[in-house]
Amino acid sequence: MILLEDVTKVYEGGVVALRDVSLDVQKGEFVFMVGPSGSGKSTLIRLMLREEHTTRGKIWVAGKDITKMPGWKVPNLRRSIGTVFQDFKLLPNRTVSENVAFALEVLGRPKSVINRQVAQVLELVGLATKGDRYPLQLSGGEQQRVSVARAFVNRPPILLADEPTGNLDPATSVGIMRILDRINRTGTTVLMATHDHAIVDAMRRRVVQLERGRVVRDQTRGRYESFRVDEDDLAEEEAPVAEPTPPPVVEVRTPAELPESESSA
Amino acid sequence: MSRATYLVRQAFTSLRRNALVVAAAILAVFVSLTLAFGALVVNELFQVNTTRWQEGVHVVVFMKDDVSQAAQLDLQKEIQQWDEVQETSYCDKTCAWLEFNEMFADQPALLEETDASILPASIRIKLVDVDYYRDITFRLLDNSAVRKTVTAGERFDQLSNISSILNALGLGLAVLLGVASVVLIANTIRMAIYARRDEVGVMKLVGASNWFIRIPFLLEGMLQGFVGAVLAVAAVWAGHSFLAGLEPEDFFIRLSVGADFLVQWGVLILLFGAAAGVVGSAFGLRRFLKV
Repeated sequence: MILLEDVTKVYEGGVVALRDVSLDVQKGEFVFMVGPSGSGKSTLIRLMLREEHTTRGKIWVAGKDITKMPGWKVPNLRRSIGTVFQDFKLLPNRTVSENVAFALEVLGRPKSVINRQVAQVLELVGLATKGDRYPLQLSGGEQQRVSVARAFVNRPPILLADEPTGNLDPATSVGIMRILDRINRTGTTVLMATHDHAIVDAMRRRVVQLERGRVVRDQTRGRYESFRVDEDDLAEEEAPVAEPTPPPVVEVRTPAELPESESSA
Repeated sequence: MSRATYLVRQAFTSLRRNALVVAAAILAVFVSLTLAFGALVVNELFQVNTTRWQEGVHVVVFMKDDVSQAAQLDLQKEIQQWDEVQETSYCDKTCAWLEFNEMFADQPALLEETDASILPASIRIKLVDVDYYRDITFRLLDNSAVRKTVTAGERFDQLSNISSILNALGLGLAVLLGVASVVLIANTIRMAIYARRDEVGVMKLVGASNWFIRIPFLLEGMLQGFVGAVLAVAAVWAGHSFLAGLEPEDFFIRLSVGADFLVQWGVLILLFGAAAGVVGSAFGLRRFLKV
C-alpha cells in the first residue's frame, strides 16, 4: 500500500530530515512511527501527502509512484489518504456535521450521499448526537473524533495520523485509539506517528522507529522502547536487556536487513 | 449544481468579509473605466462633428431660403473667382437632406421629425491656404444671400487641439488607474486567501482540486472588476444622456453619439472590467495556492 525506497529528504538550507529510508507497509497494516521530535516522522507524512518533494528515492502510494506524479494529480492522491493531526484542523465557524461534510463537498458529492455518509461516520466515532455543535463547544477528545470522522468519511484506503493523541489526556487517547483500531479493522491501512508510550505498548502493533532521519528499528508487535541489545548495554551489564516483563515476541532488526514485507494483521 | 452554487456562495461571502477593500478596488475600476469610456465618447463626438471638414472643406456658406437658386449659383461663381479659393461646390436642399440623413443615420426619430425643407443649401469652399478663412468670412458677412458662414479654421483647430489633449489626459489617467485597480483587486484576493487560509488548508488536505480552490477567488475578482465596469458604463451613459438632452446653439453641432457606439463599447468595457478582475485575482493567487 505504501512503499518507500531509499528516500532522502534535504530541506532548503541543508537540513537532512530523512536519510535513505525504506519502508514497506502492506494493505490493512497498522504501523506506529516512533522517535524523538525532529527524527523525521512528520517529514515522512508530508512526503506521502506530496506536501514536500523527495530529494532522492521513490515513494509508491497505492501502486502509484508519487515522486513522479504531476501536480494536477496530487488532489487525487490526497483523496485516497485520510489525515488526522495533533491540532485537529477543524473549521471553527462550521458545525461538526458541516466540518465532516466539507471533505465530501469539495469533491462534489451529491447532497444525499453527503448526508448519509456524514451520519454514518459520526455514528462510528460516537458523535451522532453532536452534529449541530460547533468545534469549540466540544472537548479536545471530541474534536479529535470529528477530525477522524472527516478523515474517514470518504473511506480512504490509507489513514495517516500525526500525533493524534498529542493534545489529549490518556483516557481520551484510548477512545481515539479504539476508533482508529476499528477503522483499521475495516481494511484501512493506518500509519500513526506518536510519542505516546502507553498506547504503543498497549496496542502491540508494528513499530518503526526513526532517529535522526534513519529507520533504526522495524518490529512487528513492537513496543515504544527498543529492546535492542545495544553495545552500551553489553558493556555495562554483559547481558541482554533486563526487562521486568519481557514481551512474548521480540524481533530485532537493523536497517540493513529490513523485511521485504511483514504483516501484523 | 450544488457545486456551482457552493463556488458562487464562497465568492460572495468573501466579498462581504472584506467590504472596505473591495469597495476601494471597485472604485478604482469604476474611475479608470469611466475615464477610458468617457475619452472614447468625447473622441467619437469629435469625429461625428468634424467629418464634414475632413474632406478638405474649409468654409461652408449657408444660404438664405428666400434667395433663388440662380442667385445662389451666381454667388458660387463669384466666389470661385477669388484668388484665395481653390475649389467650390454647391449643395442644394436635396443634397443637404441627404447629408443630414447620413449624419443622423443612427437617430431615425430625429430624421422623422425633421422637415427636409428647413435644411439650407450651402456652398462649400476649399481654400488655397486655410489661413485665408478670415478674409473670406469677412467678405461674405454683408452679403444678403448668406445666412451664416461656418469655417473649419476656428472650430476644427480648437476642437482637434482640445480633443487630443483631453484624450491623452483621459487615456493616460485611465491606464494608470487601470493598473492601480488590478493591483487593488490582487490585494483583496490576497486578503481573501489569508482570511480563508485554514479552509484552503483543509481543502488541500482532503484533496480538493486546484481549480475548485481557485474558482471562488477568480470569481470574486471578476465580480469586482465587473461591478466597477457596470458603474462606469452607467456613469458615462448618464453623462451622455445629459449632454444629448442639451439644445446646442448651433444646429450642426451634435452632442450625442450613436446608440450603437454606446452599446458596442459599453459591452466591451464590461468585458474588459471582468477580464481586469480575473487578471488581478490571478496575480493575487500566484504562488499562494501551489499544491
